[in-house]
Amino acid sequence: MGNEQTNKSITAICWRFVHYLSAALQQEEREAVLGDFAESGQNGSEALRDLLGLLARRQVTVWKDGRLWLTLASVVLPLGLLLSVISQTMVGEARVYTWMYANNWDWALTKSAGFWYVLGEVATQVAINSLMLACWSWSTGFLLGCLSTRLLPTTRVTFLLLIGIFQIANAPQRVIHLWMYLYGLPGLTSSIDTNAPVTGIAFYRVIFPYIVLCTLVALPAVWGARQGKVGSKVSPKLRPVLIIAATITILTMLPQIPGFGLLLGSSGRQWLWDNRHAMRMLLFLTCWPMLYLVATGFRRYRQNAASG
Amino acid sequence: MYHNVVEMIGEFEYLILTAATRLGDKAYGASIRNEIQKSVGRACSIGALYTTLDRLESKGFVKTWMGQPTSERGGRSKRLVSVTANGMQAASDFFNVVVRVSKGVSWATNRPTNR
Repeated sequence: MGNEQTNKSITAICWRFVHYLSAALQQEEREAVLGDFAESGQNGSEALRDLLGLLARRQVTVWKDGRLWLTLASVVLPLGLLLSVISQTMVGEARVYTWMYANNWDWALTKSAGFWYVLGEVATQVAINSLMLACWSWSTGFLLGCLSTRLLPTTRVTFLLLIGIFQIANAPQRVIHLWMYLYGLPGLTSSIDTNAPVTGIAFYRVIFPYIVLCTLVALPAVWGARQGKVGSKVSPKLRPVLIIAATITILTMLPQIPGFGLLLGSSGRQWLWDNRHAMRMLLFLTCWPMLYLVATGFRRYRQNAASG
Repeated sequence: MYHNVVEMIGEFEYLILTAATRLGDKAYGASIRNEIQKSVGRACSIGALYTTLDRLESKGFVKTWMGQPTSERGGRSKRLVSVTANGMQAASDFFNVVVRVSKGVSWATNRPTNR
């Protein structure tokens, strides 16, 4: 009796895994495979073993595909690193402000007009930076979704793994150190941590960066990838437009990287300074994901209204 | 003298082509799998079946498409399979090669007629 109950529980767990893991297959293949399992009356563990075998074979095929390596080398790796660098820069600012207000709150301050003025400015700045980071992440995911829907499950998981590894290995900080070393600038290792009261708290040092990474990089990128997969099915004329829009958005990320000016040389830096107002306007392009989402939402609404 | 075999298929590809041809318009993932398991007497994994079907389709030996959902499959659709003329030719070439290469060997000549 007890054994029967245990077997039932194991079978139910295996089926749950089968349904969850089968999402990694293409929609039509998933449909056919789950239908075959149902028809042949396989038990949960057999179905799970069969499905894992199929997924392993599919992965071998995908990793043998040269396009996957090209996508990883040209999109996933560089953009994952760029987003990690920008995310860490944002974390550096945001955690100081969060600590300043959350850990040092004093109701007496609320009576001061200056307090509200500074809080408004800080909140606006952090909100704009967060929105931009989310839009860049969304655009990166969108580009991945548009480039190859067949490779998407693998590129998406690799992207998420990479940003996690970059964070664990403190890769963004190492990149900035390397950057400074290459340009003969003094290293930061000996400098004093001016934010020691903040970084001394485990939450701000360890957990806060992961919260930012998950909410402003991982989630928008996964969402963007899903939208990109849908976007890749639009008319062939519109597809290049979407890819170009996502690429331009991603390019606006470059000037935000600490030390980017060093790459440009003195004339490039001068040009950037002379055109700083135009460059600021360029950041508005970052918001294209919102325009895209509004446009597709409106289109869906109209289609639903037309179909009654 | 060389026989004109354009592309030699593999053993498992041959099994799939044969099972799908025998099943005709009832050829799809689960039925092909059953047919192979019945005739070979060995388990056939879904992974091997679907990846080989993809390979056969890319070679132009089979055509696959999604059918209508059925209740016996929990409301899921079948991936129906049809062997193309090229697929039949490839299977026939494979069979001829096996027959030719087996000519004169003990297990082919001393084969019991009724089992």
